[in-house]
Amino acid sequence: MSAGGPVRTIASEVAARRRSAAEVAAESLERIEKANPDLNAFLEVSKEKALEEAREVDRRVAAGERLPLAGVPLAVKDNMWVAGRKASCASRILDGFSPPGDATAVARLRRAGAVFVGKTNLDEFAMGSSTENSAFGPSRNPWDLRRIPGGSSGGSAAAVAARLVPGALGSDTGGSIRQPGACSGVVGFKPSYGRVSRWGLVAFGSSLDQIGPLTRDVSDAARIYSVMAGADPLDSTCVSLPAGDPEGALERGIDGMRIGFLSEGQGEGLDPRVAENLDACRRAFERAGGRVTSVSVPRATAAIAIYYVVASAEASSNLARYDGVRYGARRSEASVASLYVDTRTKGFGAEVKRRILLGTFALSSGYYDAYYGRAMRARRILARDFDRAFAAADVIVCPSIPAPAFRLGEKVDDPLQMYLSDIFTVPASLAGLPAISIPSGLTADGLPLGLQIMAPRFGEETLFAAAFAFEREIGFPSDAPPAARPLAT
Amino acid sequence: MASERRAVTLEIVRNVAQLSRLSLPEAELSRWTEQLGRIVSYIDQIEAIPEDAGGDETPDGVPPTPVREDEPRPGYGPEALEGNAPRRFQGFGVVPRVVGGGE
Repeated sequence: MSAGGPVRTIASEVAARRRSAAEVAAESLERIEKANPDLNAFLEVSKEKALEEAREVDRRVAAGERLPLAGVPLAVKDNMWVAGRKASCASRILDGFSPPGDATAVARLRRAGAVFVGKTNLDEFAMGSSTENSAFGPSRNPWDLRRIPGGSSGGSAAAVAARLVPGALGSDTGGSIRQPGACSGVVGFKPSYGRVSRWGLVAFGSSLDQIGPLTRDVSDAARIYSVMAGADPLDSTCVSLPAGDPEGALERGIDGMRIGFLSEGQGEGLDPRVAENLDACRRAFERAGGRVTSVSVPRATAAIAIYYVVASAEASSNLARYDGVRYGARRSEASVASLYVDTRTKGFGAEVKRRILLGTFALSSGYYDAYYGRAMRARRILARDFDRAFAAADVIVCPSIPAPAFRLGEKVDDPLQMYLSDIFTVPASLAGLPAISIPSGLTADGLPLGLQIMAPRFGEETLFAAAFAFEREIGFPSDAPPAARPLAT
Repeated sequence: MASERRAVTLEIVRNVAQLSRLSLPEAELSRWTEQLGRIVSYIDQIEAIPEDAGGDETPDGVPPTPVREDEPRPGYGPEALEGNAPRRFQGFGVVPRVVGGGE
Protein backbone atom coordinates (compact mmCIF):
# COMPACT_ATOMS: atom_id res chain seq x y z
CA MET A 1 0.00 0.00 0.00
CA SER A 2 1.64 3.25 -1.07
CA ALA A 3 1.18 6.37 1.03
CA GLY A 4 -0.74 9.31 -0.44
CA GLY A 5 -2.96 11.71 1.48
CA PRO A 6 -3.20 11.72 5.26
CA VAL A 7 -5.61 8.77 5.39
CA ARG A 8 -3.26 6.48 3.50
CA THR A 9 -0.21 7.87 5.29
CA ILE A 10 -1.65 7.29 8.77
CA ALA A 11 -2.79 3.80 7.78
CA SER A 12 0.71 2.94 6.54
CA GLU A 13 2.42 4.35 9.61
CA VAL A 14 0.12 2.65 12.10
CA ALA A 15 0.27 -0.64 10.17
CA ALA A 16 4.07 -0.44 10.26
CA ARG A 17 3.91 0.45 14.00
CA ARG A 18 5.82 3.69 13.45
CA ARG A 19 2.95 5.46 15.22
CA SER A 20 0.23 4.11 17.46
CA ALA A 21 -3.44 4.51 16.67
CA ALA A 22 -3.92 5.86 20.20
CA GLU A 23 -1.40 8.65 19.58
CA VAL A 24 -3.03 9.57 16.25
CA ALA A 25 -6.50 9.62 17.84
CA ALA A 26 -5.29 11.77 20.74
CA GLU A 27 -3.84 14.33 18.31
CA SER A 28 -7.08 14.48 16.36
CA LEU A 29 -9.15 14.86 19.54
CA GLU A 30 -6.90 17.69 20.72
CA ARG A 31 -7.34 19.56 17.45
CA ILE A 32 -11.09 19.12 17.63
CA GLU A 33 -11.18 20.44 21.18
CA LYS A 34 -9.27 23.57 20.14
CA ALA A 35 -11.06 24.33 16.87
CA ASN A 36 -14.64 23.19 17.37
CA PRO A 37 -15.81 26.23 19.36
CA ASP A 38 -15.12 28.35 16.24
CA LEU A 39 -16.25 25.85 13.60
CA ASN A 40 -19.17 24.01 15.24
CA ALA A 41 -18.25 21.12 12.98
CA PHE A 42 -18.92 18.43 15.60
CA LEU A 43 -22.18 17.79 17.43
CA GLU A 44 -20.65 15.05 19.57
CA VAL A 45 -17.02 14.15 20.32
CA SER A 46 -16.43 10.69 21.78
CA LYS A 47 -13.05 11.02 23.43
CA GLU A 48 -13.03 7.95 25.67
CA LYS A 49 -14.72 5.66 23.15
CA ALA A 50 -12.38 6.82 20.36
CA LEU A 51 -9.29 6.23 22.48
CA GLU A 52 -10.55 2.77 23.42
CA GLU A 53 -11.22 1.99 19.74
CA ALA A 54 -7.71 3.19 18.89
CA ARG A 55 -6.14 0.98 21.55
CA GLU A 56 -8.08 -1.97 20.11
CA VAL A 57 -6.67 -1.16 16.65
CA ASP A 58 -3.17 -1.15 18.14
CA ARG A 59 -3.86 -4.60 19.62
CA ARG A 60 -5.11 -5.89 16.24
CA VAL A 61 -2.06 -4.50 14.43
CA ALA A 62 0.23 -6.06 17.02
CA ALA A 63 -1.57 -9.37 16.44
CA GLY A 64 -0.64 -9.18 12.77
CA GLU A 65 -3.94 -8.05 11.20
CA ARG A 66 -3.57 -6.13 7.95
CA LEU A 67 -5.91 -3.13 8.18
CA PRO A 68 -6.30 -0.75 5.22
CA LEU A 69 -7.46 2.06 7.56
CA ALA A 70 -5.33 1.19 10.59
CA GLY A 71 -5.81 3.91 13.19
CA VAL A 72 -7.35 6.46 10.81
CA PRO A 73 -9.54 8.89 12.81
CA LEU A 74 -12.79 9.50 10.98
CA ALA A 75 -15.75 11.77 11.65
CA VAL A 76 -19.25 10.64 10.73
CA LYS A 77 -22.15 12.85 9.71
CA ASP A 78 -24.78 12.69 12.40
CA ASN A 79 -27.40 11.06 10.18
CA MET A 80 -25.56 7.73 10.22
CA TRP A 81 -25.56 5.10 12.91
CA VAL A 82 -22.47 4.52 15.00
CA ALA A 83 -23.20 2.11 17.86
CA GLY A 84 -23.26 3.81 21.23
CA ARG A 85 -23.26 7.38 19.81
CA LYS A 86 -26.22 9.56 19.10
CA ALA A 87 -27.78 10.07 15.67
CA SER A 88 -29.63 13.36 15.92
CA CYS A 89 -29.79 14.28 12.22
CA ALA A 90 -29.34 17.80 13.68
CA SER A 91 -33.02 17.68 14.60
CA ARG A 92 -34.84 18.20 17.89
CA ILE A 93 -37.27 15.47 16.92
CA LEU A 94 -34.60 12.80 17.51
CA ASP A 95 -33.67 14.05 20.99
CA GLY A 96 -32.54 11.05 23.01
CA PHE A 97 -32.44 8.58 20.11
CA SER A 98 -29.71 5.96 20.36
CA PRO A 99 -29.06 3.76 17.31
CA PRO A 100 -29.04 0.04 18.06
CA GLY A 101 -25.93 -0.70 15.95
CA ASP A 102 -23.50 0.47 13.28
CA ALA A 103 -24.46 1.47 9.75
CA THR A 104 -23.08 -1.10 7.31
CA ALA A 105 -20.58 1.45 5.95
CA VAL A 106 -19.43 2.29 9.49
CA ALA A 107 -19.12 -1.41 10.41
CA ARG A 108 -16.91 -2.03 7.36
CA LEU A 109 -14.70 0.96 8.18
CA ARG A 110 -14.43 -0.24 11.77
CA ARG A 111 -13.34 -3.70 10.62
CA ALA A 112 -10.70 -1.99 8.44
CA GLY A 113 -9.22 -0.22 11.47
CA ALA A 114 -10.90 3.19 11.44
CA VAL A 115 -11.45 5.06 14.72
CA PHE A 116 -14.60 7.15 15.14
CA VAL A 117 -13.84 10.42 16.92
CA GLY A 118 -17.21 12.11 16.64
CA LYS A 119 -20.44 12.97 14.85
CA THR A 120 -20.60 16.02 12.60
CA ASN A 121 -23.10 18.79 12.07
CA LEU A 122 -25.47 18.92 9.11
CA ASP A 123 -28.58 20.59 7.84
CA GLU A 124 -31.51 18.99 9.64
CA PHE A 125 -32.15 15.57 8.05
CA ALA A 126 -29.58 16.54 5.37
CA MET A 127 -31.98 19.10 3.87
CA GLY A 128 -29.98 22.15 2.94
CA SER A 129 -26.84 23.53 1.35
CA SER A 130 -25.26 25.51 4.19
CA THR A 131 -25.71 23.69 7.56
CA GLU A 132 -27.74 26.72 8.62
CA ASN A 133 -30.74 24.40 8.95
CA SER A 134 -29.11 22.53 11.86
CA ALA A 135 -31.08 22.72 15.10
CA PHE A 136 -27.70 23.15 16.82
CA GLY A 137 -26.39 26.19 14.97
CA PRO A 138 -24.46 26.43 11.72
CA SER A 139 -20.96 25.16 11.04
CA ARG A 140 -18.44 27.69 9.76
CA ASN A 141 -16.04 27.60 6.84
CA PRO A 142 -12.37 27.27 7.92
CA TRP A 143 -11.35 29.48 4.98
CA ASP A 144 -13.55 32.33 6.24
CA LEU A 145 -15.49 31.91 9.47
CA ARG A 146 -18.15 34.40 8.28
CA ARG A 147 -19.14 31.99 5.52
CA ILE A 148 -20.97 28.70 5.19
CA PRO A 149 -18.95 25.48 4.74
CA GLY A 150 -21.63 24.21 2.33
CA GLY A 151 -24.15 21.55 3.16
CA SER A 152 -25.65 19.40 4.07
CA SER A 153 -22.43 17.57 5.09
CA GLY A 154 -20.93 20.90 6.15
CA GLY A 155 -19.61 19.70 9.51
CA SER A 156 -17.73 16.84 7.85
CA ALA A 157 -16.30 19.18 5.19
CA ALA A 158 -15.21 21.78 7.76
CA ALA A 159 -13.62 19.10 9.97
CA VAL A 160 -11.52 17.74 7.10
CA ALA A 161 -10.64 21.19 5.73
CA ALA A 162 -9.45 22.38 9.15
CA ARG A 163 -7.28 19.26 9.54
CA LEU A 164 -9.24 18.03 12.56
CA VAL A 165 -9.61 14.61 10.94
CA PRO A 166 -8.02 13.20 7.78
CA GLY A 167 -11.38 11.98 6.48
CA ALA A 168 -15.08 12.05 7.18
CA LEU A 169 -18.28 10.46 5.96
CA GLY A 170 -21.01 12.50 4.35
CA SER A 171 -24.26 11.61 2.67
CA ASP A 172 -25.30 12.97 -0.70
CA THR A 173 -28.89 13.21 -1.92
CA GLY A 174 -28.57 16.13 -4.37
CA GLY A 175 -24.99 17.29 -3.79
CA SER A 176 -24.56 17.18 -0.02
CA ILE A 177 -21.04 15.74 -0.22
CA ARG A 178 -19.78 17.49 -3.35
CA GLN A 179 -21.11 21.00 -2.69
CA PRO A 180 -19.60 21.30 0.83
CA GLY A 181 -16.43 19.66 -0.49
CA ALA A 182 -16.14 22.46 -3.04
CA CYS A 183 -17.07 25.25 -0.61
CA SER A 184 -14.50 24.03 1.93
CA GLY A 185 -11.63 23.09 -0.39
CA VAL A 186 -11.69 19.31 0.10
CA VAL A 187 -12.48 16.30 -2.06
CA GLY A 188 -16.08 15.05 -1.87
CA PHE A 189 -17.09 11.82 -3.58
CA LYS A 190 -20.59 10.46 -4.18
CA PRO A 191 -20.55 6.86 -5.43
CA SER A 192 -23.01 5.50 -8.00
CA TYR A 193 -26.42 4.89 -6.48
CA GLY A 194 -26.28 1.29 -5.26
CA ARG A 195 -22.55 1.07 -4.57
CA VAL A 196 -22.60 1.70 -0.82
CA SER A 197 -25.21 0.27 1.53
CA ARG A 198 -27.71 2.74 2.97
CA TRP A 199 -28.39 0.55 6.00
CA GLY A 200 -28.01 2.79 9.04
CA LEU A 201 -28.18 6.01 7.01
CA VAL A 202 -31.31 7.85 8.14
CA ALA A 203 -33.46 8.07 5.00
CA PHE A 204 -34.17 11.37 3.25
CA GLY A 205 -34.67 10.56 -0.46
CA SER A 206 -34.31 6.81 -0.69
CA SER A 207 -33.84 6.64 -4.46
CA LEU A 208 -31.05 9.24 -4.27
CA ASP A 209 -29.20 8.92 -0.94
CA GLN A 210 -25.61 7.64 -0.99
CA ILE A 211 -22.84 7.63 1.61
CA GLY A 212 -19.42 8.85 0.52
CA PRO A 213 -16.12 10.22 1.84
CA LEU A 214 -14.77 13.75 2.27
CA THR A 215 -10.98 13.78 2.26
CA ARG A 216 -7.98 15.98 1.58
CA ASP A 217 -7.12 14.19 -1.67
CA VAL A 218 -8.48 11.81 -4.29
CA SER A 219 -6.36 8.82 -3.25
CA ASP A 220 -7.79 8.94 0.28
CA ALA A 221 -11.34 9.05 -1.07
CA ALA A 222 -10.56 5.95 -3.16
CA ARG A 223 -9.25 4.12 -0.07
CA ILE A 224 -12.31 4.86 2.09
CA TYR A 225 -14.72 4.10 -0.76
CA SER A 226 -13.01 0.76 -1.50
CA VAL A 227 -13.59 -0.35 2.08
CA MET A 228 -17.27 0.72 2.17
CA ALA A 229 -18.48 -0.46 -1.25
CA GLY A 230 -20.18 -3.76 -2.01
CA ALA A 231 -23.42 -5.68 -1.69
CA ASP A 232 -25.21 -5.83 1.65
CA PRO A 233 -28.07 -8.20 2.49
CA LEU A 234 -29.55 -5.38 4.62
CA ASP A 235 -30.05 -3.05 1.61
CA SER A 236 -31.65 -4.52 -1.51
CA THR A 237 -30.80 -1.40 -3.53
CA CYS A 238 -27.10 -2.10 -2.97
CA VAL A 239 -25.88 -3.89 -6.10
CA SER A 240 -23.85 -7.09 -6.21
CA LEU A 241 -21.37 -5.79 -8.80
CA PRO A 242 -17.71 -6.03 -7.74
CA ALA A 243 -16.36 -2.64 -6.61
CA GLY A 244 -13.30 -3.01 -8.84
CA ASP A 245 -9.98 -1.45 -7.93
CA PRO A 246 -10.39 2.33 -7.55
CA GLU A 247 -6.96 2.74 -5.94
CA GLY A 248 -5.31 0.77 -8.71
CA ALA A 249 -7.03 3.02 -11.24
CA LEU A 250 -5.47 6.20 -9.82
CA GLU A 251 -2.24 5.95 -11.78
CA ARG A 252 -3.83 4.91 -15.09
CA GLY A 253 -3.56 8.42 -16.48
CA ILE A 254 -5.92 10.04 -18.94
CA ASP A 255 -3.99 9.89 -22.21
CA GLY A 256 -6.64 10.11 -24.90
CA MET A 257 -9.51 10.10 -22.42
CA ARG A 258 -12.43 12.15 -23.73
CA ILE A 259 -13.15 14.90 -21.19
CA GLY A 260 -16.58 16.39 -21.98
CA PHE A 261 -17.19 19.86 -20.58
CA LEU A 262 -20.90 20.28 -19.93
CA SER A 263 -22.40 22.95 -22.21
CA GLU A 264 -25.40 23.68 -19.99
CA GLY A 265 -24.89 26.30 -17.31
CA GLN A 266 -21.73 27.77 -18.82
CA GLY A 267 -23.27 30.93 -20.23
CA GLU A 268 -24.45 34.17 -18.71
CA GLY A 269 -25.15 34.00 -15.03
CA LEU A 270 -22.08 31.93 -14.19
CA ASP A 271 -19.97 33.71 -11.60
CA PRO A 272 -16.95 35.16 -13.48
CA ARG A 273 -14.56 33.68 -10.90
CA VAL A 274 -16.01 30.23 -11.57
CA ALA A 275 -15.85 30.77 -15.35
CA GLU A 276 -12.20 31.81 -15.13
CA ASN A 277 -11.40 28.80 -12.97
CA LEU A 278 -13.15 26.53 -15.45
CA ASP A 279 -10.76 27.71 -18.17
CA ALA A 280 -7.81 26.81 -15.92
CA CYS A 281 -9.38 23.37 -15.39
CA ARG A 282 -9.72 22.87 -19.15
CA ARG A 283 -6.02 23.64 -19.60
CA ALA A 284 -5.10 21.27 -16.76
CA PHE A 285 -6.92 18.38 -18.45
CA GLU A 286 -5.17 19.18 -21.73
CA ARG A 287 -1.77 19.19 -20.04
CA ALA A 288 -2.56 15.82 -18.45
CA GLY A 289 -3.23 14.32 -21.90
CA GLY A 290 -7.03 14.42 -21.98
CA ARG A 291 -8.97 15.15 -25.19
CA VAL A 292 -11.15 18.06 -24.14
CA THR A 293 -14.50 18.30 -25.85
CA SER A 294 -17.95 19.75 -25.23
CA VAL A 295 -21.07 17.74 -24.46
CA SER A 296 -24.72 18.56 -23.92
CA VAL A 297 -27.18 17.13 -21.40
CA PRO A 298 -30.22 19.16 -22.42
CA ARG A 299 -32.46 18.33 -19.45
CA ALA A 300 -29.73 19.20 -16.90
CA THR A 301 -31.23 22.69 -16.77
CA ALA A 302 -34.47 21.21 -15.41
CA ALA A 303 -32.72 19.06 -12.81
CA ILE A 304 -33.43 21.29 -9.80
CA ALA A 305 -37.13 21.34 -10.67
CA ILE A 306 -37.24 17.55 -11.06
CA TYR A 307 -35.20 17.02 -7.91
CA TYR A 308 -37.37 19.14 -5.64
CA VAL A 309 -40.42 17.11 -6.59
CA VAL A 310 -38.80 13.66 -6.32
CA ALA A 311 -36.67 14.28 -3.23
CA SER A 312 -39.40 16.16 -1.38
CA ALA A 313 -41.97 13.46 -2.18
CA GLU A 314 -39.65 10.79 -0.82
CA ALA A 315 -38.83 12.93 2.21
CA SER A 316 -42.48 13.49 3.05
CA SER A 317 -42.99 9.74 3.04
CA ASN A 318 -39.76 8.86 4.90
CA LEU A 319 -40.31 11.47 7.60
CA ALA A 320 -43.87 10.31 8.32
CA ARG A 321 -42.31 7.87 10.82
CA TYR A 322 -41.38 10.71 13.20
CA ASP A 323 -44.55 10.87 15.23
CA GLY A 324 -43.41 10.61 18.84
CA VAL A 325 -44.53 7.00 19.26
CA ARG A 326 -41.45 4.81 18.79
CA TYR A 327 -38.47 7.11 19.33
CA GLY A 328 -37.36 10.69 19.75
CA ALA A 329 -39.01 13.50 21.63
CA ARG A 330 -42.73 13.36 22.48
CA ARG A 331 -44.48 16.72 22.83
CA SER A 332 -48.06 15.94 23.74
CA GLU A 333 -50.09 13.22 25.43
CA ALA A 334 -53.57 14.73 25.06
CA SER A 335 -54.64 12.50 22.15
CA VAL A 336 -53.02 10.48 19.40
CA ALA A 337 -53.79 13.24 16.89
CA SER A 338 -52.20 15.95 19.02
CA LEU A 339 -49.26 13.66 19.80
CA TYR A 340 -48.50 13.43 16.08
CA VAL A 341 -49.11 17.08 15.22
CA ASP A 342 -47.44 18.65 18.26
CA THR A 343 -44.42 16.34 18.10
CA ARG A 344 -43.85 17.07 14.43
CA THR A 345 -44.64 20.79 14.58
CA LYS A 346 -42.28 21.40 17.52
CA GLY A 347 -39.68 18.83 16.47
CA PHE A 348 -39.03 19.80 12.84
CA GLY A 349 -37.35 23.00 11.69
CA ALA A 350 -38.67 25.27 8.93
CA GLU A 351 -36.81 23.74 5.98
CA VAL A 352 -37.84 20.20 6.86
CA LYS A 353 -41.46 21.35 7.14
CA ARG A 354 -41.15 23.10 3.78
CA ARG A 355 -39.94 19.90 2.08
CA ILE A 356 -42.63 17.79 3.76
CA LEU A 357 -45.31 20.25 2.61
CA LEU A 358 -43.91 20.35 -0.91
CA GLY A 359 -43.65 16.57 -1.12
CA THR A 360 -47.11 16.02 0.30
CA PHE A 361 -48.46 18.53 -2.23
CA ALA A 362 -46.73 16.73 -5.13
CA LEU A 363 -48.13 13.37 -4.01
CA SER A 364 -51.62 14.55 -3.14
CA SER A 365 -54.78 13.65 -4.99
CA GLY A 366 -55.28 15.96 -7.93
CA TYR A 367 -51.58 16.89 -8.26
CA TYR A 368 -49.79 13.53 -8.34
CA ASP A 369 -49.66 13.11 -12.12
CA ALA A 370 -48.86 16.75 -12.84
CA TYR A 371 -45.94 16.83 -10.41
CA TYR A 372 -44.65 13.47 -9.15
CA GLY A 373 -45.55 11.41 -12.22
CA ARG A 374 -44.19 14.00 -14.60
CA ALA A 375 -41.00 14.52 -12.57
CA MET A 376 -40.30 10.77 -12.54
CA ARG A 377 -40.65 10.61 -16.31
CA ALA A 378 -38.42 13.69 -16.68
CA ARG A 379 -35.86 12.03 -14.41
CA ARG A 380 -35.64 9.02 -16.71
CA ILE A 381 -35.35 11.31 -19.75
CA LEU A 382 -32.48 13.14 -18.03
CA ALA A 383 -30.73 9.79 -17.39
CA ARG A 384 -31.11 8.99 -21.09
CA ASP A 385 -29.60 12.39 -21.97
CA PHE A 386 -26.57 11.37 -19.91
CA ASP A 387 -26.36 8.00 -21.72
CA ARG A 388 -26.19 9.87 -25.03
CA ALA A 389 -23.58 12.32 -23.71
CA PHE A 390 -21.40 9.45 -22.46
CA ALA A 391 -21.31 8.07 -25.99
CA ALA A 392 -19.24 11.16 -26.84
CA ALA A 393 -17.21 11.52 -23.64
CA ASP A 394 -15.66 9.18 -21.07
CA VAL A 395 -16.29 11.64 -18.25
CA ILE A 396 -18.35 14.82 -18.03
CA VAL A 397 -17.08 17.82 -16.08
CA CYS A 398 -18.55 21.08 -14.84
CA PRO A 399 -18.10 23.38 -11.85
CA SER A 400 -19.21 21.86 -8.54
CA ILE A 401 -20.69 25.13 -7.29
CA PRO A 402 -22.05 28.14 -9.19
CA ALA A 403 -20.24 30.58 -6.85
CA PRO A 404 -17.87 30.40 -3.87
CA ALA A 405 -19.24 29.88 -0.36
CA PHE A 406 -21.70 32.61 0.56
CA ARG A 407 -21.97 34.45 3.86
CA LEU A 408 -23.94 33.00 6.75
CA GLY A 409 -27.50 34.30 6.64
CA GLU A 410 -27.28 35.48 3.04
CA LYS A 411 -29.87 33.06 1.63
CA VAL A 412 -31.86 31.86 4.63
CA ASP A 413 -34.95 33.84 3.65
CA ASP A 414 -34.92 32.75 0.02
CA PRO A 415 -35.27 28.95 -0.18
CA LEU A 416 -35.33 28.87 -3.97
CA GLN A 417 -31.98 30.67 -4.21
CA MET A 418 -30.59 28.22 -1.65
CA TYR A 419 -31.83 25.29 -3.75
CA LEU A 420 -30.04 26.69 -6.80
CA SER A 421 -26.70 26.26 -4.97
CA ASP A 422 -26.93 22.62 -6.05
CA ILE A 423 -27.60 23.29 -9.72
CA PHE A 424 -24.46 21.46 -10.88
CA THR A 425 -24.62 18.52 -8.48
CA VAL A 426 -28.27 17.48 -8.73
CA PRO A 427 -28.16 16.06 -12.31
CA ALA A 428 -25.73 13.24 -11.37
CA SER A 429 -27.86 12.42 -8.33
CA LEU A 430 -31.01 12.03 -10.41
CA ALA A 431 -29.18 9.78 -12.90
CA GLY A 432 -27.48 7.70 -10.16
CA LEU A 433 -24.00 8.54 -11.47
CA PRO A 434 -20.73 8.55 -9.54
CA ALA A 435 -19.45 12.12 -9.17
CA ILE A 436 -16.56 13.75 -7.38
CA SER A 437 -15.69 17.34 -6.49
CA ILE A 438 -12.01 18.22 -6.44
CA PRO A 439 -10.58 21.52 -5.16
CA SER A 440 -9.72 23.49 -8.30
CA GLY A 441 -8.37 26.79 -7.05
CA LEU A 442 -8.84 29.78 -4.77
CA THR A 443 -10.50 33.07 -5.65
CA ALA A 444 -8.52 36.29 -5.22
CA ASP A 445 -10.02 36.63 -1.74
CA GLY A 446 -9.00 33.11 -0.75
CA LEU A 447 -12.22 31.12 -1.17
CA PRO A 448 -12.08 27.58 -2.58
CA LEU A 449 -13.68 26.49 -5.84
CA GLY A 450 -14.32 22.95 -7.01
CA LEU A 451 -14.54 20.99 -10.24
CA GLN A 452 -17.01 18.14 -10.55
CA ILE A 453 -16.27 15.03 -12.63
CA MET A 454 -19.08 12.60 -13.46
CA ALA A 455 -18.76 9.12 -14.99
CA PRO A 456 -21.26 6.56 -16.28
CA ARG A 457 -23.06 4.63 -13.56
CA PHE A 458 -20.69 2.12 -11.90
CA GLY A 459 -17.74 3.74 -13.75
CA GLU A 460 -15.87 4.59 -10.54
CA GLU A 461 -12.49 3.39 -11.85
CA THR A 462 -12.63 5.78 -14.81
CA LEU A 463 -13.78 8.54 -12.49
CA PHE A 464 -10.86 8.05 -10.09
CA ALA A 465 -8.33 7.92 -12.94
CA ALA A 466 -9.60 11.25 -14.27
CA ALA A 467 -9.87 12.82 -10.82
CA PHE A 468 -6.35 11.82 -9.77
CA ALA A 469 -4.79 13.12 -13.02
CA PHE A 470 -6.69 16.39 -12.70
CA GLU A 471 -5.78 16.85 -9.05
CA ARG A 472 -2.09 16.41 -9.78
CA GLU A 473 -2.20 18.91 -12.62
CA ILE A 474 -4.34 21.65 -11.06
CA GLY A 475 -2.08 21.93 -7.99
CA PHE A 476 -4.50 23.18 -5.31
CA PRO A 477 -2.48 24.90 -2.54
CA SER A 478 -1.51 22.53 0.25
CA ASP A 479 -1.51 25.31 2.87
CA ALA A 480 -4.01 24.84 5.67
CA PRO A 481 -6.97 27.24 5.62
CA PRO A 482 -6.73 30.23 7.98
CA ALA A 483 -8.82 28.66 10.78
CA ALA A 484 -6.54 25.62 10.82
CA ARG A 485 -3.19 27.44 10.79
CA PRO A 486 -2.93 27.98 14.55
CA LEU A 487 -3.36 24.19 14.89
CA ALA A 488 -0.66 23.27 12.40
CA THR A 489 2.03 21.06 13.83
CA MET B 1 -59.03 12.43 -10.07
CA ALA B 2 -57.30 14.18 -12.96
CA SER B 3 -54.15 16.13 -12.13
CA GLU B 4 -54.05 19.85 -12.60
CA ARG B 5 -51.75 22.79 -12.09
CA ARG B 6 -52.95 25.88 -10.35
CA ALA B 7 -51.59 28.55 -8.09
CA VAL B 8 -50.75 27.55 -4.53
CA THR B 9 -53.41 29.09 -2.28
CA LEU B 10 -53.89 29.44 1.46
CA GLU B 11 -56.49 26.70 1.28
CA ILE B 12 -54.12 24.28 -0.47
CA VAL B 13 -51.39 24.95 2.12
CA ARG B 14 -53.86 24.42 4.99
CA ASN B 15 -54.94 21.11 3.46
CA VAL B 16 -51.40 19.91 2.77
CA ALA B 17 -50.33 20.84 6.32
CA GLN B 18 -53.18 18.77 7.72
CA LEU B 19 -52.17 15.80 5.55
CA SER B 20 -48.58 16.27 6.78
CA ARG B 21 -49.60 16.31 10.46
CA LEU B 22 -48.15 19.78 10.84
CA SER B 23 -49.74 22.82 12.41
CA LEU B 24 -49.00 26.15 10.71
CA PRO B 25 -50.08 29.25 12.65
CA GLU B 26 -52.59 31.37 10.70
CA ALA B 27 -50.27 34.37 11.03
CA GLU B 28 -47.54 32.49 9.13
CA LEU B 29 -49.77 30.97 6.47
CA SER B 30 -49.30 33.78 3.94
CA ARG B 31 -45.52 33.48 4.13
CA TRP B 32 -45.64 29.70 3.68
CA THR B 33 -48.04 30.11 0.76
CA GLU B 34 -45.83 32.69 -0.93
CA GLN B 35 -42.65 30.58 -0.51
CA LEU B 36 -44.26 27.35 -1.68
CA GLY B 37 -45.92 29.20 -4.56
CA ARG B 38 -42.55 30.47 -5.79
CA ILE B 39 -41.01 27.00 -5.56
CA VAL B 40 -43.95 25.37 -7.35
CA SER B 41 -43.83 28.04 -10.09
CA TYR B 42 -40.16 27.20 -10.61
CA ILE B 43 -40.96 23.48 -10.68
CA ASP B 44 -43.60 24.09 -13.36
CA GLN B 45 -40.76 24.25 -15.93
CA ILE B 46 -40.89 20.44 -16.10
CA GLU B 47 -44.07 20.94 -18.13
CA ALA B 48 -41.81 22.03 -21.00
CA ILE B 49 -40.30 18.53 -21.25
CA PRO B 50 -42.44 16.90 -23.93
CA GLU B 51 -44.37 13.85 -22.79
CA ASP B 52 -43.41 12.03 -25.98
CA ALA B 53 -39.69 12.38 -25.13
CA GLY B 54 -39.92 8.94 -23.50
CA GLY B 55 -39.07 8.23 -19.89
CA ASP B 56 -41.36 5.26 -19.35
CA GLU B 57 -38.72 2.62 -20.04
CA THR B 58 -36.45 0.91 -17.52
CA PRO B 59 -32.86 2.15 -17.76
CA ASP B 60 -30.24 -0.19 -19.27
CA GLY B 61 -27.25 -1.59 -17.44
CA VAL B 62 -28.74 -1.69 -13.95
CA PRO B 63 -28.27 -5.10 -12.34
CA PRO B 64 -31.35 -6.86 -10.99
CA THR B 65 -32.26 -6.38 -7.35
CA PRO B 66 -30.21 -8.79 -5.26
CA VAL B 67 -32.35 -11.17 -3.25
CA ARG B 68 -31.16 -12.71 0.00
CA GLU B 69 -32.16 -16.08 1.41
CA ASP B 70 -35.53 -15.97 3.14
CA GLU B 71 -34.15 -17.09 6.47
CA PRO B 72 -34.25 -15.62 9.97
CA ARG B 73 -31.29 -13.40 10.80
CA PRO B 74 -30.09 -12.08 14.13
CA GLY B 75 -31.60 -8.72 15.02
CA TYR B 76 -30.86 -6.10 17.64
CA GLY B 77 -33.28 -7.64 20.13
CA PRO B 78 -36.40 -6.14 21.69
CA GLU B 79 -34.54 -4.26 24.43
CA ALA B 80 -32.51 -2.22 21.94
CA LEU B 81 -35.64 -1.17 20.07
CA GLU B 82 -37.84 -0.59 23.12
CA GLY B 83 -35.07 1.46 24.70
CA ASN B 84 -35.83 4.32 22.32
CA ALA B 85 -39.59 4.50 22.97
CA PRO B 86 -40.57 7.78 24.66
CA ARG B 87 -42.91 5.81 27.00
CA ARG B 88 -43.08 2.08 27.50
CA PHE B 89 -44.75 -0.39 29.84
CA GLN B 90 -44.07 -4.14 30.09
CA GLY B 91 -42.55 -4.38 26.65
CA PHE B 92 -45.13 -2.18 24.91
CA GLY B 93 -44.90 1.40 23.68
CA VAL B 94 -47.51 3.54 25.42
CA VAL B 95 -49.60 6.02 23.42
CA PRO B 96 -52.62 8.12 24.41
CA ARG B 97 -55.99 6.44 24.40
CA VAL B 98 -57.07 5.65 20.82
CA VAL B 99 -60.57 4.19 21.21
CA GLY B 100 -63.01 6.97 21.85
CA GLY B 101 -60.43 9.64 21.06
CA GLY B 102 -60.91 12.50 18.65
CA GLU B 103 -59.49 10.59 15.68
